[in-house]
Amino acid sequence: MLEETLVLFKNIRNPEYDKSLAGYKKSGGFKSLKKVFGMKPEDVVQEVKESGIRGRGGAGFPTGLKWSFMAKDTGKPSYLVANADESEPGTCKDRELMLKDPHLFLEGLMIGSYAIGCHHAYVYVRGEYFPSIKTLNSAVDELYADGLLGPNPLGSGFQLDITIHTGAGAYICGEESALLDSLEGKRGHPRVKPPFPAVSGFNACPTSVNNVETLACMPFILSDGGAEAFKSFGPQNNSGTHLVSLSGHVNRPGVYELRMDVNMKDIIYDIGGGIRNGKKLKGVIPGGSSSPVMTADEVDVLYNFDDLAKKGTMMGSAAMMVFDEDTDVVKLLHRITRFYAHESCGQCTPCREGTHWSRQIVRDFLSGNGSDEKLKLLNRVGGNMMGTTLCALGDAAAMPIQSFVKKFPDEFRKYYAIA
Amino acid sequence: MFSKDIQTQVDKLLSRYPIRQNALIPILHLAQNENEGWLTEEWMQHVADICEVPLTHVEGVVTFYTMFRIKPPGKYHLQVCTCVPCCLVGGTELLEHTEKKLAIHAGHTTTDGTFSIEEMECIGACSNAPAVIVNEDYHEQVTPEDMDKMIDELRQ
Amino acid sequence: MPVFQIDGEPVEYEPGEKVLSAALRSGKMIPHYCYHPGMSVVATCRMCLVDVIDMGNGRPAPKLQTACSMDATEGMKVETLNQKVEEGRKLVNEFLLVNHPLDCPICDQSGECTLQDYAFEYGSGKSEMDYSKRVNGWRDIGTFVALERNRCIQCSRCDRFTREITGTNEFGMFNRGHELTVDTYADRPMTNKFQGNMADICPVGAITEKEFRFKRRVWKLKKNHSICTGCSTGCNITIEHDRNEVFRLKPVENQNVNKWWLCDEGRLTYRLMNERKMRIHQPLGRVDGSLAGISWEEAYSAIAERVSELAPEPQAVLALTDTQASNEELFLLQKLLKDVFAADNVFCPLPKWEQSESDFFINTLITSDKTPNRAGALALQIQGDEKNERLTKTIENDLKVVFVLGNPFAADLDVQQKIKQAQLVVHLGVFYNAWSEIADVVLPGQYYSEKVGTYTNKQQRVQSTEIAVQPLRRTRPEWQILAELSQRLGQKNSFENVPQVFTAIAGETAAFSGLNFEKIAGLGIELTKKIKDNGKKIVSVQT
Repeated sequence: MLEETLVLFKNIRNPEYDKSLAGYKKSGGFKSLKKVFGMKPEDVVQEVKESGIRGRGGAGFPTGLKWSFMAKDTGKPSYLVANADESEPGTCKDRELMLKDPHLFLEGLMIGSYAIGCHHAYVYVRGEYFPSIKTLNSAVDELYADGLLGPNPLGSGFQLDITIHTGAGAYICGEESALLDSLEGKRGHPRVKPPFPAVSGFNACPTSVNNVETLACMPFILSDGGAEAFKSFGPQNNSGTHLVSLSGHVNRPGVYELRMDVNMKDIIYDIGGGIRNGKKLKGVIPGGSSSPVMTADEVDVLYNFDDLAKKGTMMGSAAMMVFDEDTDVVKLLHRITRFYAHESCGQCTPCREGTHWSRQIVRDFLSGNGSDEKLKLLNRVGGNMMGTTLCALGDAAAMPIQSFVKKFPDEFRKYYAIA
Repeated sequence: MFSKDIQTQVDKLLSRYPIRQNALIPILHLAQNENEGWLTEEWMQHVADICEVPLTHVEGVVTFYTMFRIKPPGKYHLQVCTCVPCCLVGGTELLEHTEKKLAIHAGHTTTDGTFSIEEMECIGACSNAPAVIVNEDYHEQVTPEDMDKMIDELRQ
Repeated sequence: MPVFQIDGEPVEYEPGEKVLSAALRSGKMIPHYCYHPGMSVVATCRMCLVDVIDMGNGRPAPKLQTACSMDATEGMKVETLNQKVEEGRKLVNEFLLVNHPLDCPICDQSGECTLQDYAFEYGSGKSEMDYSKRVNGWRDIGTFVALERNRCIQCSRCDRFTREITGTNEFGMFNRGHELTVDTYADRPMTNKFQGNMADICPVGAITEKEFRFKRRVWKLKKNHSICTGCSTGCNITIEHDRNEVFRLKPVENQNVNKWWLCDEGRLTYRLMNERKMRIHQPLGRVDGSLAGISWEEAYSAIAERVSELAPEPQAVLALTDTQASNEELFLLQKLLKDVFAADNVFCPLPKWEQSESDFFINTLITSDKTPNRAGALALQIQGDEKNERLTKTIENDLKVVFVLGNPFAADLDVQQKIKQAQLVVHLGVFYNAWSEIADVVLPGQYYSEKVGTYTNKQQRVQSTEIAVQPLRRTRPEWQILAELSQRLGQKNSFENVPQVFTAIAGETAAFSGLNFEKIAGLGIELTKKIKDNGKKIVSVQT
């Protein structure tokens, strides 16, 4: 059987592991932070660049590069905000990290803060994650009690505070600029870009927003030889291990830590134990509900950013939702369109109107009123959201629609009105 | 309006942010908890004063986020996820079952005020679907039988 | 200034300026809804999509860009008319019409609705939207405006207006997605004094002026440039009228005066333009103790006869005016006394007044001085002081001839009592008032919507009005009455129109020297030598 590669889950997979600060220290925690405090911040950013890590939140933007964009000498404070607003359907990896090994993530956050000169980091956790919020808050309390947070962590003289901030239920707040608006105490409306957060983010100060998993990789990357090792876990440009949230009709759903050169087929049939009840695979939504769907014939591909992009889809947040031959694809699409209609912030026209309209059309199919014209219309309405909205939610809503129509046209015909 | 303990938490929150408005959402959570799970105009005005923002700003924020409620929920707020991964493995049926069991639709509260149901978008427990949050506790891989048992126990 | 290109034509821009702003300033129209030059850029309507074929670095932008949020850069090439752009606009407009009701026939915005215009230009004429539209209903949201929420296209201009322009925050965005509403929360009425502007900036018929609802189709309205005379700010306006009835006043952009705005109180002054009951319709003369209609000729003859009978000394002649009168009227009144009687006793009330200071510019538009030409009176050295001390002394003289223009000292019964004892009281005015009651001869003037005039506002900026509506048949503009009276009283002058009078003012007074009537038309010009106003008091106003 295909083995997990344990970097992030090294502690979590250890049944004996004690997630308290003492336990984390015992397993070698905070060594990297100590090393980092002896480095120049720009060298830390350089190490991160060399590791080749790409953001794990969905867009896959190189983290080192993001940090190097931070505006310097602005006279304003810089901020690092951890994006723990995990809400892309199918994604449940950050929750594992926060619940089961909070100090690993917090050490990563501290390393990142040092790298970009942030003295007060915020963790934006989605409000529904009550257990994670509790765990993180007590972990932060432990760090303050130990002196690892505050005026002089590890004798570095680098003042650092961390605040756990709770969201209140809005998928769009996973978009970094909407997250910042929300963190500022506003409605979570994505902002016009430019300016990018690196120039004007939290309270108009330079800000970097990074995913929890991305930050949790930092203690490994900054350990001795870590960057090199990290790079070796996947093909070029797709560095590291990553957490795959596997859900749907597989025998063993779960969150798995895998290298980036693993075949998707093996994830489904080996790691996931195949399709449950001996059914056949119908398709996979490979990277969160916004990624274009793949049919059963397409799953023989390496599961990483670039190989999936070549297949016309995306890895996104590495959330694989597997569905079997009995699945009603139109119903599934209806559930997806409903999600985007519910989560659109509503400020910009194509998304506000398009997500709702497309949902109405799919619902019309479900009531048995489909037709060729309506299928064309659905495809067109979806396409019209693509690339015309202020943030990426329009694209996210459009991609499933267009891919479902393209890849499962026959399924829609079942719902055509009988002439 | 906040009790003494909670007011201490409010003050602590305010000290964690550069400006008072930044603490709005966490303070609204505290206010909602203080008022049995929902927000009245009085509470919104109080929080607006604390955070030094106009009342309309607070109302805009409250109506934007699904976790803030302007109607009282039940004593036990059952949040059933029916989003993609949950719906693939029975989340929708679980919701329907719960609705039948309590004889109310999602979005409503039982007449005795004990239970309310909310249909949730993805709550991030996808690999243990279907999942339900009861007040603040996650319950995962919930079958209709589990739900019956849970409801019966909570009723006691 | 640096230059970029729109559709092959060079367009100048200020460094840091956005494409749409530069385009609009240079007279190039790019369709848009949410953008407003006075408010922050939100880039949410997505209508101003343009094709940037060269971002200034030789490379095209990967997809259509919103012109409102795109920085103009040197060498940038933007296309606004190609097929890609047209398709972008089509799809945005189609989305907007998904939920917008097609109730143009009963919508007051019809005819000045950008959604209607662009739907005509970019719409397909056939809707593929088969489902029921969003229904939100009508709301009475304030003293001045109503909100038809079904028509709202969520451009958020009104929300930004109450946040950024008035600071009153009555509007907000509530709920989200398809259910997003932009309105006041729970039908709470608005309190700001500038609600009419929200109807102006609303690109559709969602916010409309209650005064104007269902009164007239906008394409029937004729528009004339004018100056609001509701206070001393002198906001630039258009008077919009049909069949000699005025329907509404709308602000005209003047960055030096009112920017884009006009207060509700100012807007309501249109009612006076249609007022008929209180108007003086024809010359009146006292016959057997009571006023009766006479002809202009009879009125002038009566005045000329009495004046020659009385042959008053200069100190027995007095003129009173209010500061509603235009510069020309004040000047000619002064000239009449000087030329005919060698007198200089022209007085006007000059009470203290308050100018607001505020973080929100719009609050500074309303002043406590509800007359348009106090600064003009000061510039022309019309006499007066805060407590009317000099006037009180002057009326102790044995008065023989008194001219009253308008309705000065309306509340001062002592002054009126004294004047009543004069041998000849002539009242020139638009509206019948206490002065008409005590006058021997009453000469009917015209309201400012019916005549040409210049006014000097609180910034000492001289601005002019146009004739908007036909005056009442037997009235004459005050400047003409004063010029004719002067002729009848033996003076030679040849004033045939207001520009000629203005030229005389510029030639004869120090304050107005160098000004030219042609040049002040439009946006006005400030006096070069500022006059000191001792009655001005600055008060700070928050929201």
